[in-house]
Order: sequence, then C-alpha cells, then structure tokens
Amino acid sequence: MPTFKLDGREIPFEPGESIIKAAWRQGIEIPHYCWHPGLSAPANCRMCLVEIKPAPNQRPVMLDIVELDRATGEYKPVQKPKLMPACQMPAVEGQEVFSDSSQHVKEARSHVQEFLLLNHPVDCPICDQAGECKLQDYWLEHQGTQKRMRDEPIHKPKGVVFGPTIVYDGERCVMCTRCIRFMEEVAKDPVLEMRERGNLNEIFVAEGRKLDGNYTFMVEHVCPVGALTTQDFRFKARVWFLRSAKSVCQGCATGCNAYLDYDPRYNKAHRYRPRDNEAVNKFWMCDPGMLSYKRAHEGRITEARVGQKSRATKEALAEVKKLLGDVAPEHVAFVLGAQASLEDNWSLLALASKMGSSRLYWTGAPAGASDDILISADKSSNQKGVLALAPNAKPYSVLLDDVRGGVVTHVVALGSATPAAGADDASTLGMLRALVAIAAHDDGALTAIAHVVLPACSWAEAPGTYVNKDGLRQLSDKALEPIGASKPGWEQVAAVAKQLGHDLGIKRVKEIRAAWLGTEAAAHASPAEQ
Amino acid sequence: MAAFPKKPASPTNAVTVQYVDKTLTTQSYLPAIVKGLGVSMSHFFRNTKEMVLGKRPDPVTERLDPGITTISYPEQKRPYPQRFRGVHRLTTRLDGSPRCVACLCCSTACPAQCIFIEAGEYPEGDKRRGYERFPVKFVIDELRCIFCGYCVEACPCDAIRMDTGVHAVPYDSRDQFIYDKGILLSLTGVDGSRQTNNPRHEPGDKSHPGVDRLHHH
Repeated sequence: MPTFKLDGREIPFEPGESIIKAAWRQGIEIPHYCWHPGLSAPANCRMCLVEIKPAPNQRPVMLDIVELDRATGEYKPVQKPKLMPACQMPAVEGQEVFSDSSQHVKEARSHVQEFLLLNHPVDCPICDQAGECKLQDYWLEHQGTQKRMRDEPIHKPKGVVFGPTIVYDGERCVMCTRCIRFMEEVAKDPVLEMRERGNLNEIFVAEGRKLDGNYTFMVEHVCPVGALTTQDFRFKARVWFLRSAKSVCQGCATGCNAYLDYDPRYNKAHRYRPRDNEAVNKFWMCDPGMLSYKRAHEGRITEARVGQKSRATKEALAEVKKLLGDVAPEHVAFVLGAQASLEDNWSLLALASKMGSSRLYWTGAPAGASDDILISADKSSNQKGVLALAPNAKPYSVLLDDVRGGVVTHVVALGSATPAAGADDASTLGMLRALVAIAAHDDGALTAIAHVVLPACSWAEAPGTYVNKDGLRQLSDKALEPIGASKPGWEQVAAVAKQLGHDLGIKRVKEIRAAWLGTEAAAHASPAEQ
Repeated sequence: MAAFPKKPASPTNAVTVQYVDKTLTTQSYLPAIVKGLGVSMSHFFRNTKEMVLGKRPDPVTERLDPGITTISYPEQKRPYPQRFRGVHRLTTRLDGSPRCVACLCCSTACPAQCIFIEAGEYPEGDKRRGYERFPVKFVIDELRCIFCGYCVEACPCDAIRMDTGVHAVPYDSRDQFIYDKGILLSLTGVDGSRQTNNPRHEPGDKSHPGVDRLHHH
C-alpha cells in the first residue's frame, strides 16, 4: 500500500483516497465540519486546510499577505503557503503533509473557526448539541479566543419545523451541507437545499415537501453543530448526563450497530446513535430503528403473571411446576424466540434436551416493510441465529397445526410476538393445557394468552448475541439495570428447569457462550458481560 | 512518701498553680456564691434598666462591647450578611414568567444533585419558541442541598438566586423540603423583589440593540 507523510508519520492510503480519509482510517482527526466519511466532500467549511510540501520539481505556491507587527504597530508584507483542503486533495505517494505541525495551518484553523462563530448565537445552555458539538470542541482546541466582531450578529429563522422529526435552527448552522448531501446521496430523496449566500445562507425544505421518509434522524446525526435537532430528543436530556452502551438495534434483521444512550440516574434510555460498522450499517440507521430505543421501556413485562394476574416470580414458578411437572415430554413444545438473544435460546434448547423433547418451533415478529438501504422485511433481530442454533426448529404455523392436531398440549415459549396474526390463532393457543411464556415485551399472542408469564430482560438490560440477516454474530451490551422483577431470559429458563428438577449448569453468560463458542471466544467477552 | 516515685522535674515553660489555701471561707463556698450572684444580678438590673429606658445596645453591631450579647430569637433576629446564601428562589421576567431556560447548568454544577428540571418547549406561536425553553418542572430538594451556591454561579441567566435571606428551614416531614417551581417563584429577595436586576435584551424586544429577528434582509 502506498504511503504519504502526515506530520512526519507514515500514513498508508488506497489510491484515490483523500488525505483526510486516509488519516481518519489511521485514527488521526484532521479537524473538519463538512467532510463525513460516508458522504461526498464539498470542501466548503475550510476547516481541514493543510500545508502540502510541493514536489521537488514544482515551485511552491506562495501568497503575498500583510501581517501586523505587534512590536512596531505596522503592517509588513510577508508570504505564506497556499493551504489545501485535506478532504479534496487526493493522497500522493511520498507526499509530505503538515497538519498540526504547521503554524500556518494552526492560524488558518483559528481564523476559520472565528468566521464560523461570527454569527453564532452562543446559546449552548439551551442547545441539545452542547457537549457533543464540533463548534465547542474545535473552539477549545483550535481557537480559544473571543471573536473580534463587535456588531450585532445576523439573525436567521429558528425553530423551523422541517418535518415530523426534525427542527432546524438557522443561527447555529455552519452551512456544511452534510444534511443536504445525506438526503441526496444516502436517502436518495433530495428534499433539502440551501438558499441565499454568505451571511444569509440557510437550509430549507423543497417547496411543498416536508423532511420525511425513513432516514430523517440521520440528518440530525450528521449535523456537526446544533442546527438540526430531533423532535424526539429535543430538550429531553443533557448529553453529559448520559452513558452509552454498545447496542444492536432490534428493529429488524439488519442488526444495525448503535450506541444506546441512557441516563444511569433514572435508568432510562434516551436515544440511539448509529455506531460505525462498515459491514452492516456503515454510519447510518433508519428512523423506525432510531425510535426503537423506546422499546426499552414501552410494553415491558415487569412482573410475573399467573392467569394474567400479577404474581411474585416464586409463585409463578410454583405454578410452572404444577402445569409441567408430570407431562410426557413428547407433548411439550419449546418455542424459540427470534427476537431473543442466542444465550436465551441456547438455554431453552438445553432445557428441551434435558426434558427429552424434540418438539422445537420458533416464533418472531411479523414481517414488515423493507427498502434497499437498510430496512429488512424480517422484523426479528435473531432469526438467523435461532435457525443456526436449532436448524430443525419448525415455524410457528406448524406449531399451530400441531396444537390443533392435539400432538402438542404444553408449550414453553421465549418471546411474545408471533408471525401470524390470524383470527383463529388465539383460539388455537387457547386449546393448550399450559402455555408458559418468558418474554420481555407484552406485544403478541403468546403473552396475551399464557397461563404463566415470566418477565425477561429486554435487549437493553442484559448482554446478548444476535445474528443479523447476513449471518454476522453481533454482541449487544447491557445498558440499563433490569426493570421490575425481570431477569435475563436464560436465568428464567434456568429457574424453570430447576422447578422441573433439571440443572442446566449455567450461572453466568460466559458459561453459555463457552458452551457453543468454545472457551477461547468466551475469554474475549467484554467485562460488562461477566 | 517514700513509696511514691519522685516527681519529674518541671519543664521550663510550666506554670506553677497557686492553690488557694483551704480555709473556712473558701471551703464553705458561701462568699463565692454571693459574689457570683452579685455579678448576675448586676447584669439583670442593668439589662432591665436599658430595656425600660430603650437603651439596649444593638445585638449585632455592639454585641462585642461589654453588655448584653443575647437576643430573643425568634422574635429578634440578627440580620444576615448581604452575601448570605439562603433558600433558593427563581427570578422572573417583566411578564412574570420564570427567567430559567432549563439549561440544567445548575443541576450539572450541583455537588449534592438536589436539583431536578424537566425542560419544555414554548407552544407554537409564542415569540420565544425556538429561542428558548422553559422549566416544566423545577424541583429543589432543600434537605439535600448543601447551600454551596454553585447553582447560582453556574446560571447563565441569573434565574436562580440564594438571596432570600431565609436560612434552611426546619420542617416536620421530608416532603415539605421539596421545593417546586411554584414555591421557588413565590419567594422574594431580601429587598422584596422578584425580578432580577440584570435585564436581558432579547431579539424582538424594543430594547434590543441589533437586528430584529422579524426583520427581513
């Protein structure tokens, strides 16, 4: 791989790659606003200017400028090199680039930063971006001085509602056009545009349109400043109170990588942020996915239920023993959950084999809409994983047939949602003599009709492994503390097993992982799961 | 005496105590009691005389002088110093709305984590919509507060102050220490004012020096 030198450090690059991207791959940040690794480079923020040493056979391009000599108070003519935007300059073999080590670059950054902040309202206390704002970070890093303009700043529209999800503040905008380019290049819906010039620049939505569709949240995510805020997160929390957990979106089978931002003081999830993963979601997430963090709190089952009445978990487990204690194993079906983690499913499989039942089925969320960007029609986060774990598990429709045929009379199910939503499903399930559901959410036929419901942790409350539609095994970390009486699904399964006189032999998540991955992979488990 | 060890030599800075001889006068205690009573009674008569004549020295400014140093709390109260940090209050704008913009700077600065704020947005059509937010809930747990004043320091809007002159109040149940927005707004400064004396010129106000936000270029 060819290399160039950035501040004396060898940086490898792919031919044709820009300097800033090659540096970004090496974890070196050249300050920037308008450049984004997933978007085109318009080079309009001028923050990423770098000094490039001319090739030996070229004359350096020098600019004549005047500089204030503070000792004499007079301006004297000097020369400075022409600086180049690192986002536009392709890296060249053997080229020498100066970023942090060039005084000219440092000065240019400071001046660009001062320009960008000329008309900024400096309303950081009420701005949702405060704490994760590039203007704040770069002011501290590259400017550190007050602006010299003493005029009243230009006022622009504020609180403009762009659509059902996004609010725009013209005064905070630095006109990097990332939002415009995102809508055009990634969402393929060029609904945002820029109008006017210079000080009066502003972003607007095309006439007769609203900023809607399935990728509007990303517009806020790419905004380096607080100009675009989401209606959902607006004024909800200050980001410095939040902690982030590496999570995996449960909205569909794509399994987008995300940070789940939560407030540890109130044990409350506040938002998702996309987590870069070139193999899955690149830098993006869809709107339904971004909003699916709400399922950490909405529709949660927090107490055990017996006959749809809240009970202590202990009583519910005693009821399980009564229902399943002396049933012939060939009549007991085990329904794996495509929305539950591999760990939970593994423990249910272990219980099935301990009981000697080979009646395995699987259930998941009903299919939904899809597109060719990120959204998958399969709305279960772990269908691939379940089928890899139990290749002979039969689909839910077969379970219904078997129940009708009287082969299956008792069911232990993981999860609540069912793919089919037929009218006679409920009556078919009603034929069961016992239905024990271990679920986190109360959103389907299984928990609605179950004789015993045991509360499981949602994906946000327990570490779990999920396999996406491409067969990629992804780890989701624990963010929240378990809500109510809920426990990780595999713990509830182990408790059921104990009631029925079986010992699954698992006490910790890493023991489950060791069972199917081998000890080597379990040793790499992150500290949060131990 | 020989059974006791010899006394160690006195250190050089030791003070020799002069014991009073044990005589009948000292051992009966009566003269000392009469003398003590005399001091008390002389204070009593002097205080009574000063009270009747209205010449009682000020307990604050003259309390270091010889004379009375006791005040009848709570009927009489010593004035607190000007910068005394008392119970919080929320200041208001001219129109009576709270100046607080719910930025949570105070609750960020608070080392006791006693401030809870829920921010809200002004309704559609309000001139402050988009510019500001306001506290839907603003709750201070005065029982948890340590009266350090960091919240006042942190406030960018001069919206929270501790100049009520009211010191931490004892209540008989814990929930009475939870001061909500209504209580905080109802408290006044020691001078009785609710507004701040730092008026802020906002775009859109007539007092604002610059370009109006409704001004079209």
